[in-house]
Amino acid sequence: MGEEILRVENLKTYFFTEAGVVKAVDGVSFSVYEGEPLGIVGETGSGKTVTSLSIMRIVPPPGKIISGRIIYRGEDLLEKSEDEMRKIRGKKIAIVFQDPNSSLDPLFTVESQLNEVIMAHLKVTKQEARNRALELLKMVRIPDPEARLKAYPHELSGGMRQRVAIARALANEPDILIADEPTTNLDVTIQAQIIELLKELQSKLKMTLIMITHDMGLVAETTKRVVVLYAGSVAEIAPTNEIFKSMRHPYTAALLKAVPRIDRRKELKPIPGSIPNLIDPPSGCRFHPRCPYVIQRCIEEVPELEFTDQRAVACHRWKELSLKGE
Amino acid sequence: MAGLWRYILRRLLFVIPVFLAVTLLTFLITNAAGDPVQIVKFAIRRITPAQVAALEAYYHTNEPIFARYFYWLFSFLQGDLGTSLRGGLVASKILPWIGTTLELQFLALAFSLAIGIPLGVYSALKQYSKADVVISSIAIFGYSMPTFWLGIQAIIVFSLYLKWLPFGGAISPYPPYWGGSIYTDIIGHLILPVGVLTFVSLATFTRLLRASIVEVLRQDFILAARASGLRERVVVYKHALKNAISPIVTITGLSIGLSLAGAPITETVFSWPGLGYAYVQAVNALDLPVVQDLTAIITIVVLLVTILTDISYAYLDPRVRLE
Ligand SMILES: Nc1ncnc2c1ncn2[C@@H]1O[C@H](COP(=O)(O)OP(=O)(O)OP(=O)(O)O)[C@@H](O)[C@H]1O
Ligand code: SF4
Ligand SMILES: [Mg+2]
Repeated sequence: MGEEILRVENLKTYFFTEAGVVKAVDGVSFSVYEGEPLGIVGETGSGKTVTSLSIMRIVPPPGKIISGRIIYRGEDLLEKSEDEMRKIRGKKIAIVFQDPNSSLDPLFTVESQLNEVIMAHLKVTKQEARNRALELLKMVRIPDPEARLKAYPHELSGGMRQRVAIARALANEPDILIADEPTTNLDVTIQAQIIELLKELQSKLKMTLIMITHDMGLVAETTKRVVVLYAGSVAEIAPTNEIFKSMRHPYTAALLKAVPRIDRRKELKPIPGSIPNLIDPPSGCRFHPRCPYVIQRCIEEVPELEFTDQRAVACHRWKELSLKGE
Repeated sequence: MAGLWRYILRRLLFVIPVFLAVTLLTFLITNAAGDPVQIVKFAIRRITPAQVAALEAYYHTNEPIFARYFYWLFSFLQGDLGTSLRGGLVASKILPWIGTTLELQFLALAFSLAIGIPLGVYSALKQYSKADVVISSIAIFGYSMPTFWLGIQAIIVFSLYLKWLPFGGAISPYPPYWGGSIYTDIIGHLILPVGVLTFVSLATFTRLLRASIVEVLRQDFILAARASGLRERVVVYKHALKNAISPIVTITGLSIGLSLAGAPITETVFSWPGLGYAYVQAVNALDLPVVQDLTAIITIVVLLVTILTDISYAYLDPRVRLE
């Protein structure tokens, strides 16, 4: 295991909406180690995207980072000036967004969108940037890259657009690549190709991948460790190969039963109940209204994230439950 | 680029039937008021039969109305605007007015864009701040006031009451000139009409652009641009503004059309000697050839503006060219 490259500590990001304060991320902590791909999973609305936007400090209004620390190579990103932060975005940490149809600006060509990102961090001429852009398109295996440079996003297929978005994220060879559900909006066959590409590029470029997804199969395939988020806080952190065999948090168990896995033809059990309202979340353990093991203490007391042997879990009853995967 | 040219050609072909329909309709309606010969006979009591015969021959009044429309159309297309019923050539009457109208419209448009775009951007970036609330309230005011009413109020306040500015017209017919020289006099006469027209369309642009930018700033590609380490200036003025401006382009076209359509009223309020003013006078005098030609000219201007709007839209947004 490499050294710790990124540590999120007790991060709180709230949205101050007219309906009330949405506690989208409410005390999230986890670490990322160099070269060790990390997965972040959780149902929709659990705060995965807001966590990654917080790391980049680009949470859109009315959202605001309330407290916490985001330590990148020993330095707290929340202390940095906007200008220092700008030099980190895209250069040290980059994101590939969920929907390639909306993450590229429809009014600019591929070339111009790649060039501006290259030139934002490097002092190069237009010609040099163009060469680099061409090289990037080749790297993400876009056929006929010369012609594609001149294309507008609407002239490309979804898979091609996502390759361009990946090329843009990798333009400055970042340390950390956050892939926020990079395949959710793509066809199944294209999904597999994009995942292959990401896996290949991560080892080739020696960057640390953070894979955000709903898909436990994808977690198994691409990550070494996984953070399970529930309603804006961490339910469990564990090495990927262990979590499928012995999960410690009842939510992880429910999640594993609820997601399809290619290697297992079993009936899916959707998680009963719905994700809580983050304006007025449930008291105590946020999972208690949906947890089959709930006791009085769960309703009254917030479970702390407990760290033991490489793992962490936030559940009052994890020791007695000893949950098993099937 | 080939796509863009094909697009322009298609748009040009599309406006021809519109022009024909508008001018034919006007021709039918104005002639329903009576044919030119009858109107002249009504105005000039002592008219000789020879004069009547000459008029009938000139206006082809013995022929069916559709044939007369085509006579008009062919001479119009050849640049021959014919003779006004009030005497003199139509062309010599209205050509100078086109310039005055366009001068007013163009200045008002230029000012409202030059002020409206930065205000809209500022308002959007500082959403719900005090400045935004002030800008938005003034914009709603300007947006909901009828132009002629605002014009009359402005004349009452600035010309009648404060006596700062001239009443109307484009220039003082004789000294004393406003501000001392003929140039300052021209500017002085422009201030009120340009100011009022600017205020009204400025409000539209500001409100629209604000809404449009707020919407665009929520898009993923804006987040992606920020996440790539682009400067905030680039994110806002390159990506957000370019994406937000399309509705403004469309509205600019529409608002030029509307503004020209409103020209008879605004120009009458300010006694501004332009097409609109001429139009009202021609209608009052039942001067059918002038009404017909003015309609045709205003239609052409509006159609040209529409085409220009569509072209700039297609130029800005590559997706439109496909269609
Ligand atoms: N702009 C916003 N305004 C108000 N609330 C927001 C905003 N953006 C996100 N949220 C709230 O933050 C919470 C977390 O959202 P987030 O997008 O991080 O979820 P996610 O885990 O990425 O979900 P998904 O899997 O659907 O992408 C949600 O409850 C959402 O309602
Ligand atoms: S703390 Fe209680 S409610 Fe929460 S997951 Fe554990 S057992 Fe369930
Ligand atoms: Mg998300």
